[in-house]
Amino acid sequence: MNLAATQTESQVQSGRLGRLVVARLKPNEDIIDSAEALCASHGISLAVVRGGLGSLIDAELHYLGRSGMQDIHVPGPGVEILSLSGEIALGESRLQAVVADADGNIFAGRLQRGRNLSFITIELTLQEWLPD
Amino acid sequence: MTPHFEQRAGVRVFIHGGEPQQPRLLDCEVPASEELRVVLPLACNVAEGLLKVLAGRRYGSAVGRILCGGAAHLSYHRMVTTQDQQRPYDYGQAVVLDGYITFVSGALTVGRDAAGAPLLHCHAGFLDRDGQQHGGHLVLDRLIVGSEPLVLRLCLFDQVAYQVQPDAETHFNLLHPVFQEAS
Repeated sequence: MNLAATQTESQVQSGRLGRLVVARLKPNEDIIDSAEALCASHGISLAVVRGGLGSLIDAELHYLGRSGMQDIHVPGPGVEILSLSGEIALGESRLQAVVADADGNIFAGRLQRGRNLSFITIELTLQEWLPD
Repeated sequence: MTPHFEQRAGVRVFIHGGEPQQPRLLDCEVPASEELRVVLPLACNVAEGLLKVLAGRRYGSAVGRILCGGAAHLSYHRMVTTQDQQRPYDYGQAVVLDGYITFVSGALTVGRDAAGAPLLHCHAGFLDRDGQQHGGHLVLDRLIVGSEPLVLRLCLFDQVAYQVQPDAETHFNLLHPVFQEAS
């Protein structure tokens, strides 16, 4: 949220997609922490999510409301990830997800860091962004 | 070990029946990808259509998204509790829907089975004809395109594959990234 709050002019960056990191998260690993760890271990400073599929113990999402960040708690276990998108940058990652609970109800929001843990597995594929 | 929940730093964790295996993150690096936009026509069986598109291409695995489209018939699964003490959660019986289904979200992995054949793993969200939301594990060989074409985006890569392997910790057969020659 800080990036949007401090930036006053549009920024355009040309570049291309580079290396892929094809990964599996084992149980109880957080998506954002894991994505940042994967980027760090491969020397990638900025990456986009190309694939994210699996299940969470519980989903902890949030969004910016009139009185600050509002939490969305989706109880599991077995909250299914239907889509995952966003950018990975160390300490500044912003990821969004659409998830479904065990009754098939759909929820969406920004992932809270450290609170979205893999239940059985998560297939996570990241791709490096290489600015010109 | 008896599967159970614990609290760590205010977050619920689940201890599975098998011993936790290290490392906790498995990953492989691929130098580049190939991009495909796939449009499947009305009445197409999605698994058959996708496998036909991929046949003859050199790739290890692929990941992708459902961008838009509809279905005339589909079958999906949700997580349920079981009586198996070592695997207390599993997919339940299929939920079957017919007619006027609109996709709103979806993710796809094309992995490999033990024999090297493509294996499709898909989760998706959709609305039925009454506007009711649904989301879960989609069975692509029971998904028939309807109302409008189904558009998917695929990112193919070689030298690495998501290969199905038994997982001693969870007792599921799961997709693991492994280095291998493209087929």
